[in-house]
Amino acid sequence: MNSTQLLRFKSGLLCVSLLVASTVSLAQEYPQRPIIMAIPFGAGGSHDMNARIFTRVIPKYLDQPVIVKMMPGAAGQKGTSAVINAKADGYTLLFTDNYRDQLQKYIEYLPYDASEELVTVARVNYSPVCILVPADSPYHSLQELLNYAKSNPGMLSVAHSGNWGAQFVPLLRILLDAEAHMTFIPYKGGGPAKQALLAGDVDVGIAFPSVALPLVEAGIMRMLASAGDERLLANVPTLSELGFDDDLGLMQRVIMAPRNTPIEYIEILRSAFRKVNADEEYQRLMEQIGANTEYLDGEEYEQLRQLQSQRFEILVNNMSAENNSEE
Amino acid sequence: MWDSFVQGIGLALSLSTLAMMAVGLFLGILVGSLPGFTTVMAMAVLLPISFFLEPLVGIPFLIGVYKGGIFGGSIPAILVSMPGTGASVATTFDGPALTRKKQSRKAMEMALYSSAIGDLSSDIITIIAIGPIALLAMQIGPPELAAVILVSLLIIAVTTSEDLLKGLLMMVFGMFLAMIGTDPLGGMSRFTFGAFELKSGIPLLPMLIGVYALPEILLATEQKVKTVGDNISRIGERLSMQELRRCLRTIFRSTGIGTVVGMIPGVGQVVAAFMGYAAAKSASDHPETFGKGELEGVAAAEAANNAVNGPTLVPLMTLGIPGDNVTAILLGAFVAQGLRPGPQLINDQGPLVFAILIAMVVANFLFLAIGYAVIPLFARIVTIRRALLLPLTVVLAFAGSYIYRSDPNDLIILVCFGAFGYIARKVRMDVTPMVMGFILGPILEYSFGQTMAMSKGDFFGFIISDRPISAAILLLAPALIYYLHSRTVSLRKEYVNQEEPSANEESSTHK
Repeated sequence: MNSTQLLRFKSGLLCVSLLVASTVSLAQEYPQRPIIMAIPFGAGGSHDMNARIFTRVIPKYLDQPVIVKMMPGAAGQKGTSAVINAKADGYTLLFTDNYRDQLQKYIEYLPYDASEELVTVARVNYSPVCILVPADSPYHSLQELLNYAKSNPGMLSVAHSGNWGAQFVPLLRILLDAEAHMTFIPYKGGGPAKQALLAGDVDVGIAFPSVALPLVEAGIMRMLASAGDERLLANVPTLSELGFDDDLGLMQRVIMAPRNTPIEYIEILRSAFRKVNADEEYQRLMEQIGANTEYLDGEEYEQLRQLQSQRFEILVNNMSAENNSEE
Repeated sequence: MWDSFVQGIGLALSLSTLAMMAVGLFLGILVGSLPGFTTVMAMAVLLPISFFLEPLVGIPFLIGVYKGGIFGGSIPAILVSMPGTGASVATTFDGPALTRKKQSRKAMEMALYSSAIGDLSSDIITIIAIGPIALLAMQIGPPELAAVILVSLLIIAVTTSEDLLKGLLMMVFGMFLAMIGTDPLGGMSRFTFGAFELKSGIPLLPMLIGVYALPEILLATEQKVKTVGDNISRIGERLSMQELRRCLRTIFRSTGIGTVVGMIPGVGQVVAAFMGYAAAKSASDHPETFGKGELEGVAAAEAANNAVNGPTLVPLMTLGIPGDNVTAILLGAFVAQGLRPGPQLINDQGPLVFAILIAMVVANFLFLAIGYAVIPLFARIVTIRRALLLPLTVVLAFAGSYIYRSDPNDLIILVCFGAFGYIARKVRMDVTPMVMGFILGPILEYSFGQTMAMSKGDFFGFIISDRPISAAILLLAPALIYYLHSRTVSLRKEYVNQEEPSANEESSTHK
């Protein structure tokens, strides 16, 4: 090896070691600047509320703030596609729900496939739906309600927060299973749907616990069933107890990142969110807004995500099969 | 109830409540006055601060941001014809014209006083009549909303435009533009030609800035030679007591309209500002001055859109139902404070509910003081040399449109609407019916669709037997519209006669 070769070898070595060093230091130094988290819904909703709380706590564990950016539009597709098209550098995240993430693609053409383009950082928590009727309603159990809806198709009306949303899908699923029919009336979000129920404009309503429980405690509404593994009220059965697979009755709040984001970065984020979930302040604030803190790690949620995707596909296919047979 | 009320007064008048409310008002005015930043955005950003404050400090703080933000939004509407939301569109009819007459300070002070008076009166009415308002708000479902929106659209078409046909044409065009995107009921795409960018529809803010602000800038550059000597002017005269007294009748009329409209969830401020303006113009002895820099026009719009604030909170306080985005954020604040808005709130936490309502009343006095202090700062903007102010306005227009959704496509939309607005001005087409059709069209479509679903196929039977309020509104509408139309036409004839030298003066006293 002559001196020129040696020099080449040395400089090559230097380059390689610099490269290695820089990759290592990059991984250590992520995040170096604030992270943007897009929410594909409007301000003031439950995602907004949840995000305000964990973004308040996360700088303790990430050394950088996470900035919430509301990007509503096209039923959540605007914000979702913005994150998919963003640089996969770990500085753009999406905070969405399972319906936007996995159900939408079976209903309409989307210019992206969320499963391919996004990877889960964490499931922050979930909300189980509750089925409500007014306190003076003649129906005292879900079975009575479904029996009536079966023998009088379309006579009962139900208010929900929007087509193919978190309140629409679970009931649709139950009705399909029970071969019953109700008139679905969409409202712009859970608030107006709740008003319709309170005003007596509809016979049946769907709500999340933070809304449903005060109404039941006040003696205005009666809860017929709730989703989830555990009963919300001691005397109200869960959907699975009644024989309905309740998985679709849970709105999963998930944080996603573009699929090509370096896995080291994803791991840093996952560990930060794990620590956030154990944080006392976070737990206290989440309890105040009536949200649970059933954290699920990104990897575990990925399996649930696939399973859900299949169930959503079956649901949509059954739905369109039924529509076709009616026509 | 009375005990709760008395306890509430004590709770509301604590120093920390007042101090944080003042901070909220100041921040609200500041953020609201920046084009592109809406009151909703300001509240969402500042919401977490309230989590760490006592309920009676945190919630009044947010209410301060809300009230400040609405007033703040009228500042760019007056100064540079840049309405931040639909609520301040009616303020651009007379505000910028007053600015051109070097009366921007007067206009802003008029906006401040009429906002405060409108807000204060509606808050007091709300406290007195919280029960009846809550009952009434419950009666307003989709069928009533559809009827109100339909009638409002017709009133706007009849009263704003010089020519009814042109007005209706522009309104239908606006309604069509609003249909582009995702169908709100079924979720299907329409008129998007497969373009994903159009799926979320045309955004409101770039349209507002495009049709109202950009043409103003273009027209101003056309007259640059004439005004070149006016560069340095004073910050303008103050509003005189006499001018305020002259407008009091209008302010109280608008307050009444705003309070009633505020009971209808979701549409409040936009509809109220228009109705207030239209009513003031229709009742005026000199309707021809409206739209050409009439202080009364600013007063009418601002009093009406602020009078909405009180009643809008009632469904939230009594039932936990947010009527719009702002109340949705307040609901979040309530929940985060461990309060559960709902039917029990007023029983369990009566003093607190009244304290919040009383804090709203008190906020108006703070609002007057803070507004009074900041107006001279904003009034200085008109002293900036035009050669600098116009480019600065262009920058604000583009920045504001972009900030709203952070979407570069919105800038293309801004420029298109700017060009459209300029051409419409030149061919004497009024863009306001289009904007109103755009804002109210989707609400009409949605509530009509809901009504059809509720009626289960029997539309007329349903409206007549189950929805008497809706039926009554629809039956009374033709008479009201005929009256407004004939009045607008006769006033216009009078005005045309007056323009001729031979016309005599006494016709202007005709009512």
